[in-house]
Amino acid sequence: MGSKVSDHHLSTVRSIVGSEFSDMEIIRALHMAKNDVNAAINIILDTHTAPRFNPTRPNNQLSVSPPKPSPSTPIVTKPSFSEQRIDNNSDDWWLVNCGEMTGLSTCKGRSINSGETVIFKFPTKKLSSPFTGKGFGRAAACSEIVRFSTEQAGEIGRIPKEWARCLLPLVRDHKVRIEGNCKFAPQVLGIMDSIILSVSVFINSSMFAKHHQVSLKDAANSTDESVFHPLPTLFRLLGLNPFKEAELTPGDFYSNKRPLSEKVTLPRAKFEHPSQNGNENDNEESISEIEVENIVGVGSSEELEEMDPPANLQCNLRPYQKQALYWMIQMEKGKCMDETATTLHPCWEAYHLADKRELIIYLNAFSGEATIEFPSTLQMARGGILADAMGLGKTIMTISLLVAHSGKGESVGNQPIAKSFTEVGEVSDNVHTFSNIPKKATKFSGFDKPTKQMNSLTSGGNLIICPMTLLGQWKAEIETHVHLGSLSLYVHYGQSRPKDAKSLAHNDVVITTYGILASEFSSENADDNGGLFSIRWFRVVLDEAHTIKSSKSQVSVAAAALIADRRWCLTGTPIQNSLEDIYSLLRFLRIEPWGHWAWWNKLIQKPFEGGDERGLKLVQSILKPIMLRRTKHSTDREGKPILVLPPADMQVIYCEQTKAEKDFYGALFKRSKVKFDQFVEQGRVLHNYASILELLLRLRQCCDHPFLVMSRGDTQDFADLNKLAKRFLRGTYNALDGEVKEAPSRAYVQEVVEELRKGEQGECPICLEAFEDAVLTPCAHRLCRECLLASLRNATSGVCPVCRKAVNRQDLITAPTENRFQVDIEKNWVESCKVTALLNELQNLRSSGSKSIVFSQWTAFLDLLQIPFARNNISFVRLDGTLNLQQREKVIKQFSEDSTTLVLLMSLKAGGVGINLTAASNAFVMDPWWNPAVEEQAVMRIHRIGQTKKVAIKRFIVKGTVEERMEAVQARKQRMISGALTDQEVRSARIEELKMLFT
Amino acid sequence: MANSNLPRRIIKETQRLLSEPAPGISASPSEDNMRYFNVMILGPTQSPYEGGVFKLELFLPEEYPMAAPKVRFLTKIYHPNIDKLGRICLDILKDKWSPALQIRTVLLSIQALLSAPNPDDPLSENIAKHWKSNEAEAVETAKEWTRLYASDA
Repeated sequence: MGSKVSDHHLSTVRSIVGSEFSDMEIIRALHMAKNDVNAAINIILDTHTAPRFNPTRPNNQLSVSPPKPSPSTPIVTKPSFSEQRIDNNSDDWWLVNCGEMTGLSTCKGRSINSGETVIFKFPTKKLSSPFTGKGFGRAAACSEIVRFSTEQAGEIGRIPKEWARCLLPLVRDHKVRIEGNCKFAPQVLGIMDSIILSVSVFINSSMFAKHHQVSLKDAANSTDESVFHPLPTLFRLLGLNPFKEAELTPGDFYSNKRPLSEKVTLPRAKFEHPSQNGNENDNEESISEIEVENIVGVGSSEELEEMDPPANLQCNLRPYQKQALYWMIQMEKGKCMDETATTLHPCWEAYHLADKRELIIYLNAFSGEATIEFPSTLQMARGGILADAMGLGKTIMTISLLVAHSGKGESVGNQPIAKSFTEVGEVSDNVHTFSNIPKKATKFSGFDKPTKQMNSLTSGGNLIICPMTLLGQWKAEIETHVHLGSLSLYVHYGQSRPKDAKSLAHNDVVITTYGILASEFSSENADDNGGLFSIRWFRVVLDEAHTIKSSKSQVSVAAAALIADRRWCLTGTPIQNSLEDIYSLLRFLRIEPWGHWAWWNKLIQKPFEGGDERGLKLVQSILKPIMLRRTKHSTDREGKPILVLPPADMQVIYCEQTKAEKDFYGALFKRSKVKFDQFVEQGRVLHNYASILELLLRLRQCCDHPFLVMSRGDTQDFADLNKLAKRFLRGTYNALDGEVKEAPSRAYVQEVVEELRKGEQGECPICLEAFEDAVLTPCAHRLCRECLLASLRNATSGVCPVCRKAVNRQDLITAPTENRFQVDIEKNWVESCKVTALLNELQNLRSSGSKSIVFSQWTAFLDLLQIPFARNNISFVRLDGTLNLQQREKVIKQFSEDSTTLVLLMSLKAGGVGINLTAASNAFVMDPWWNPAVEEQAVMRIHRIGQTKKVAIKRFIVKGTVEERMEAVQARKQRMISGALTDQEVRSARIEELKMLFT
Repeated sequence: MANSNLPRRIIKETQRLLSEPAPGISASPSEDNMRYFNVMILGPTQSPYEGGVFKLELFLPEEYPMAAPKVRFLTKIYHPNIDKLGRICLDILKDKWSPALQIRTVLLSIQALLSAPNPDDPLSENIAKHWKSNEAEAVETAKEWTRLYASDA
């Protein structure tokens, strides 16, 4: 053993003697005591008593002395330190409770009498210790020791760790103070003897004044899920029990003893549904809608009152739309707060303080946040989620709201609603008053950008944010439905849009896109030049609000940072991929505390993912009061459906491949399967997810038309080398105009093209092998397709591995090679089975003049379709992501108004949302998409209000191919997407699923 | 075992490193783990490290080339971007890694770092401070260390 001092001994001694002593002193003492800890402590304490109580060393110790006795309550205390730093005005201090604790003696030979007042000493901030590693841990541990002493004897002992741990942070921030006296102690104290203290704990009212800001910031910044919350612990130690307990407590979620049978009923319900539903064709819609309903519930809206729209609205509202108007107006008034004011938020518990003044304190069981205001789920929200299913006319309902009630943000004086709201707040509950909502909005933390002073913000009107495709429609609908001149309207879009806040704020309604929102948010930091974020909006409406679903995306953060008095989300699919989608909406709406990831994650996301249905229940209880959702199947008071649309006929057309097609598909499938099986064998399926999806993509495209695969998904134009060269050089040329900023130098491009032309066989910089299926980046670097895709950070974009320039997947160009199978699609045109089937359908419709929309996810397929259309004299227009706003509007207009244009070719993604295309009564979905919700949404463009004709929706599936399997997978996928499975399950499900596709 | 499933890229790189080594750099794989390389870099001329032979270790993680190799100086070196554990502060070993880089390019970059210390992005605060406050003296120390630890390898 020798005389070596172990770390263990060192830390034991330190924990008793405290941090004032250097390691050396302790080690020396341990040496002298021959490693006997008790003896060493005695040595240290005996030789060093004096300096430890020397008040000239205040830098280490913050002394918190008992309060000055207030005149009415003569507590016998004698402050022993002169530096009284706390304002002991007894109005500010509330007695929480009295309790007992068992202190441990750290002295030997001293004595303390019962009844004698003790003084608690709290160490100041954590020692800014120069040590790192082990040493630091030790120093940190002893900085948490709280000691107590008496006037006469000096230091007596330390208080138990669990007390110290919760008292320390609170006392440091002057939120809590403690006084106490000795209840019982042995006559003569020895080291580690127990001393019973009775203590009284007081809480400072400043705790409640500031708590919102402070604790929310903590929660937002903290990623630690097991944050220690001192206040609830302290209450527990003091024996203070809530008179009203939280319905949900952290304990509920941390105990993992949940029986498996409780595991989310959601997937089961969903799985059962299709079998119950006799109508197979209806499944597509049902699955996703049912799912949304399972999660968010359908409101019992029949009881809602109706409200007549203002005369300015030139449009008749249906009864359920009038209900929505009434509901929205009520939500903005904050009436719902009355209703929920009586119920305690499920995460909060209420305590009666022991103080005579009978204060009630509410503690959040999760965050430790404290308040004296009655916490209800709706504290900060004015607005909500209008989640009516697609086609019920959310746009017109919103417009009626705009007309019925508009104003300018924050001009409280002449602001009837804002005023009535505060009044409601004041009278609604006698326990508390709602604090000024607008002010709180600025305190909303986690975002640095909108920290401008409120008074520097210009008051604005209504801001509507929608996808670019819908700008024109919003404008048109407002113009047609609103009485001329009653609302001024401005579309905030394009390069030359004014940034001046005044001109923006001056309009009653400003419409803009999510793109503009995000870009103004990011540029705003650089120069504070106004724009959307310099205005305090009267109301912000997010159309297709699921656009902001990924909470980390720029647009989502930007939306949440907008400053507005009223906030609305319009979406027919409040949940598209996962429960997390809701989080972004709640954050935007400022439904506290759910706008803070730590809390959302802890209370909802984690439990839900872990299969605890209470997570789901909580979401439902949050959403119920703030969301209105009706579907086409909802009924009114008399039980009649709220909306009668012409019937929709869903049909799947199964196509049979020709012999040639089948052979080609078979060969491709075999090749892909070999690759896939390799991945399976190596157990690296998920590592190669991107490449596998790529394999599947080829197969799916092949189902549409084999040409798509032969041209490798890129437009045929570029397979020709000269054209390729031209495109590159054009790109470079444009660079001079500043259009394409990051093009490679002309000389370099020429060299690359020359190299390609000569057919020089280089090697891929990643695999160091000869190129296999080479692609060219926009910066003219050549890599194997798979190598490049594997190096991209996500599925669609990343940086060029060679030069680190941004690369988008769709910008990649397939480099031509010698042995490539090339086709001239015009000359060698052959119809695939799907094309033939589509042409048949269109021919049948031709005579009736009925219009159709043809959806595909691949613009290349739309390119192909143009050939037979032209040959068969089918006049068509085309809408895809390449069109700008004006072009889109023009296309939609032509399709809607020109009776000879019978077909609209549309890419599934570009035209998915919001566009009203009721001129068409047929929809053809050429290829199945992974997420049926996307398909559904596209199709619902025609089956909605305004549709007068019977609607036919036809989906094309090629028999015996990956498409058929996809149908089966879609159902599973939904389950996975909905988050109903745990991580592990998702992983294995994914593999399962992929295996299914390759059978 | 560990070598049975070695990606072709690593094999190729290794062959090239051995057959056409970069000037002033030698790297050879360990016999029992082909992902582990013993590296020697000669101190670049006209740098404080001239004349020194610096030993490093380099390891190719499972994800290589999608993740950067792990490199560390074994020889003690006085350099503002290298700490006393031999860890190197070099962007391409961290966030700027690209799969188009190779063992060779990494080692060349490290050699270049020896020629051009960058005290503005230090890993070793003290050395960097020294470098900035009194470069001549710091260079002397670096030379001294080179003599002490990196000579006669």
